[in-house]
Amino acid sequence: MFIINDIIALLAANLILTQALGTSTMFIAASGRKNLIRTACVITLFTTVASAFTYFVDILMPSSVRVYATLICYTLIIGVLYAFFLTVLYFFGREKFNAYKKYIHISAFNCAVMGTLFTISEKAAADDSLRNTVTYFLKGLEAGAGFIVASLFLAAAFKKLNSEKVPASFRGYPAMLIYLGIISMAVYALK
Amino acid sequence: MKNRKNSVFDGILGDNIILSSLMVISPIIICGDSVKNALSLIYAFNSMTFISLIIGSFVPKKIPYTIRIIIYAVISSLVCIPVRWFAVEFYPDSIHRIGIYYPLLAVNSLIVLQSEAKFYRMKKGRMIISLVFYIIGFDLVMLFTGAVREFFAYGTILSKVADINTTVSGLGMPFGGFIFLGLMCGVYRKIRSSVRSGQTESEE
Repeated sequence: MFIINDIIALLAANLILTQALGTSTMFIAASGRKNLIRTACVITLFTTVASAFTYFVDILMPSSVRVYATLICYTLIIGVLYAFFLTVLYFFGREKFNAYKKYIHISAFNCAVMGTLFTISEKAAADDSLRNTVTYFLKGLEAGAGFIVASLFLAAAFKKLNSEKVPASFRGYPAMLIYLGIISMAVYALK
Repeated sequence: MKNRKNSVFDGILGDNIILSSLMVISPIIICGDSVKNALSLIYAFNSMTFISLIIGSFVPKKIPYTIRIIIYAVISSLVCIPVRWFAVEFYPDSIHRIGIYYPLLAVNSLIVLQSEAKFYRMKKGRMIISLVFYIIGFDLVMLFTGAVREFFAYGTILSKVADINTTVSGLGMPFGGFIFLGLMCGVYRKIRSSVRSGQTESEE
């Protein structure tokens, strides 16, 4: 029962299905099943690590400049992580770097990562008990896991949504949007 | 001259950033449920995208790609400050209506990822004209989405009650946004393919 509750909570907190965050990135990555899952995993890495760092921004930044400076600080955090992950990948070997760098390029700056950071920050501002590194880290991981779940949903129907049985005008992106809408409706009902 | 004409109109019909490339769709799905929200998003998107892309076009191409992407993101984050300040001073409601999607517009994929492929290969003058039409393409879709969703979801137009018997409240929800955008995307593709096939026939 606890597991079912957890799954429902994870779905209900899913940032793609409830807030449409990262939908564009998902469609950029939707050229194949592998691309989708790999991009989702890299986005999870970004949301998790970046969330932990944003905790320090949130507690150290004076409230007088918070509204205007938060975005720049978050952008710099993601920028540093972007360069760091590419550097680490480079040291794993030339072949792997060439094969996987595109996932890092797609995953760094997008609504999924930035939206996660802002959502966590807003929740922490509303509830002081959430204001600690572990919670930020776990919330980032949860958001990433939600992105992976949404990618799995999309990957499961990917072939059918792109098949010739779907009318040409609706094949691919439009069918995927309608499909995500139906899943989102189901998740809304779970809330 | 023909190429220039094509590129100018591409942003509206041929390569609409929302309906063709599905860029910047999160704010439309969540916030694009009324004309007022649509106007707030249009102001934020237009000003941030136009200014950021113009400034970003001066970033030297000799700089490595990764660093350029970071610079583009930092530029748009900085541009977001005066844009937001102006909105706070003159349209304070718009900030509340859009919420976290305000800063998210600053890191939209058109500015950060697609700017080089779509704009920075062109000469400055042509780039500006093309950019203006891409922005107009976004604005038209945004306004249409906001108006239709507001009318059918809440039975109002610009918050004034309209004469409608049945409302579909789900259209104002995120899932309604997904489904409406998907349908609009399909219709857009149909229109685009009809226009293109018509053009090909007339050329033959």
